[in-house]
Amino acid sequence: MAQPAISVNDLHYSYGDTLAVDGISFDVEEGEVIGFLGPNGAGKSTVVKMLTGQLTPQQGSASLLGMDIVKERKQVQQEIGIAFETTNLYEQMSAVENLELFAKLYKVASFDAITLLEKVGLGGREKEHVAGYSKGMKQRLMMARALVSDPKMLFLDEPTDGLDPVSTETIHALIRTATQNGTTVFLTTHDMVEADKLSDRVAFLNQGKIVAFDTPSRLKLSFGMRALKVEIELPDGGAEVRELSLDQDQTAQDLFELFKNERILTVHSEEATLEDIFFDITGRGLQG
Amino acid sequence: MIGTLVVNDIKLFFRNRFFAIVTAIGVVFYLAIYFLIPNQVNESLGVAFFIEDGEASPLFQRLAEETGDYTLFDTEAEMLTAIEETGDYFVGLSFPSGVTAAIARGEELDLNAYYAPGVPAEAKQIFHDVLVLIANAANPDVLANLQRFNDTEVVLGNDMTGAPLSFRDRILPLILMATVLMEIFGLATLLTRDIENGTARALITGPLRLHEFFAGKALMGMILAFGQLLILGIVTGILGRAPLLILTTMLLGSFLMVGMGFFVAAISKNNTSVLAWAVIALILMMIPGLSVLLPGLATGWMKVIPSYYFVDSLHRILNFGAGWTDLGRNLALLLAVGAGTLAIGTAVTRSRF
Ligand SMILES: Nc1ncnc2c1ncn2[C@@H]1O[C@H](COP(=O)(O)OP(=O)(O)O)[C@@H](O)[C@H]1O
Ligand SMILES: [Mg+2]
Repeated sequence: MAQPAISVNDLHYSYGDTLAVDGISFDVEEGEVIGFLGPNGAGKSTVVKMLTGQLTPQQGSASLLGMDIVKERKQVQQEIGIAFETTNLYEQMSAVENLELFAKLYKVASFDAITLLEKVGLGGREKEHVAGYSKGMKQRLMMARALVSDPKMLFLDEPTDGLDPVSTETIHALIRTATQNGTTVFLTTHDMVEADKLSDRVAFLNQGKIVAFDTPSRLKLSFGMRALKVEIELPDGGAEVRELSLDQDQTAQDLFELFKNERILTVHSEEATLEDIFFDITGRGLQG
Repeated sequence: MIGTLVVNDIKLFFRNRFFAIVTAIGVVFYLAIYFLIPNQVNESLGVAFFIEDGEASPLFQRLAEETGDYTLFDTEAEMLTAIEETGDYFVGLSFPSGVTAAIARGEELDLNAYYAPGVPAEAKQIFHDVLVLIANAANPDVLANLQRFNDTEVVLGNDMTGAPLSFRDRILPLILMATVLMEIFGLATLLTRDIENGTARALITGPLRLHEFFAGKALMGMILAFGQLLILGIVTGILGRAPLLILTTMLLGSFLMVGMGFFVAAISKNNTSVLAWAVIALILMMIPGLSVLLPGLATGWMKVIPSYYFVDSLHRILNFGAGWTDLGRNLALLLAVGAGTLAIGTAVTRSRF
């Protein structure tokens, strides 16, 4: 078996008395998109900061592409691209200048800023100073900068937080393109739709601990209630909804009885969302 | 690698309108001051006048009594003698009769300006331009019609080379120091901003190592400070005297500035407080410059301020012909303080990334 792209073993981190990451372990295969889903303060950014060498783990270890994140910090950093949680661009420079600076420092041969900027939807505005960009444009430029060195692995810390739908969609498309080229993506988010849509596997992070880690569909299967909602007409002209679980043996019989005895108005199937499951496991929602 | 970083920083430096203006105007401004100050020992800045116009004369007499820097002479000959012999005046102006009326009418007129010995050509040019400006201001209607001043140059007396120090010689070390000091502000601001805005973090979690980041900043500071010193050095012609010693002193002065820039960045919490700390640092560091200007002020406590060793070195090289052995201690101290503040600044700011 090939070595995992990311291998994390019992990482801990506290800020003073605040325990931010409380012993997490997981492996990520190459080319996977991992969604780290959790409410604000769950510890997502702290995990990203440790894995990308911005913070040194206080306990535990991790390796990226077979390299130790502490002992081989700089080598690791040469192979990854990071879109930081907060925008950190040179505001007095243009998008092209921002990208070219990093391309030169990474010694990227024949770097083409314009093509990359067109890919992130900033074509035509590339010569303007970043200070005049909207939040969505800045975030797309952050994505472009993370991609400058054509990294094997991307760390995206809430890349779509607070963005308009167009920017969000652009960033989602970029993530999909990156994975098609075999890039491993580590994505943090508190948006369950985003995690569901993009991730091969989702980790639920709550109070510094991973409380579930699986593919979105298996999470739904093992935790979620799949149900049929059947709307029937009542004799007085009103309507009533009957809920039938899809995971019980007598469901077929119940359904048969309903169809035989009642007048059916509508039938819907219902799946649990990742948010429902998160709530089931932790007793809290994702927006806290 | 570091070259790329330095180019980028210098670009950012000049995109900051304040630093661009301060740096560009600064050099020109300091040079103007330098050349405006007469190269005379007795620090005379007085202006002598002879006004032929009988009506304007009493009016001007009253004016002259009030200000003191101007003296009105009864005859042109008397004025010339005074310029030559008293050394109280740097220039004498001779106004022919009807000059006030001519100015009022916006007509051309001739003025004779007699300069004292040793007034440099640059100062004459500046003085000439100022006169033209005043003449035009006196009658705005004729602004387009530049008055032509016939500054017939009559050098009176002998050049005073080898005489005691002139005000201009005294002020040069101060000017050189003021130039580099401004860069403390520039460097501290760029450094703080890189850290505050997170761009430093983006660089060092990406392509750069921490020491490369700091080396780039230090190099940028050196280039800006030393570059300006070099320009001033070339224009004022001081490099001809003891080039290696002066260049070394300039390099170490720039290094002190870089260290101080890092230090100011270290004690500043954010982009706002860097302004306050830089101003305090600038004022403190300027104080030793005064000791050169007014030797009586040079007291022991000034030697606590590290810029003293820069300005003192320049003063001794430029004005007393001091050599390497005389300055060894000064230069070593500059190096030590520069390295020390650089180390402190690096250690403190890195923890903020
Ligand atoms: N620099 C810091 N100093 C002190 N506490 C911090 C710092 N950064 C994060 N924390 C705390 O650590 C916990 C995890 O934060 P973080 O990793 O940013 O969570 P998330 O990214 O999931 O919102 C939170 O309780 C947060 O308040
Ligand atoms: Mg976060």
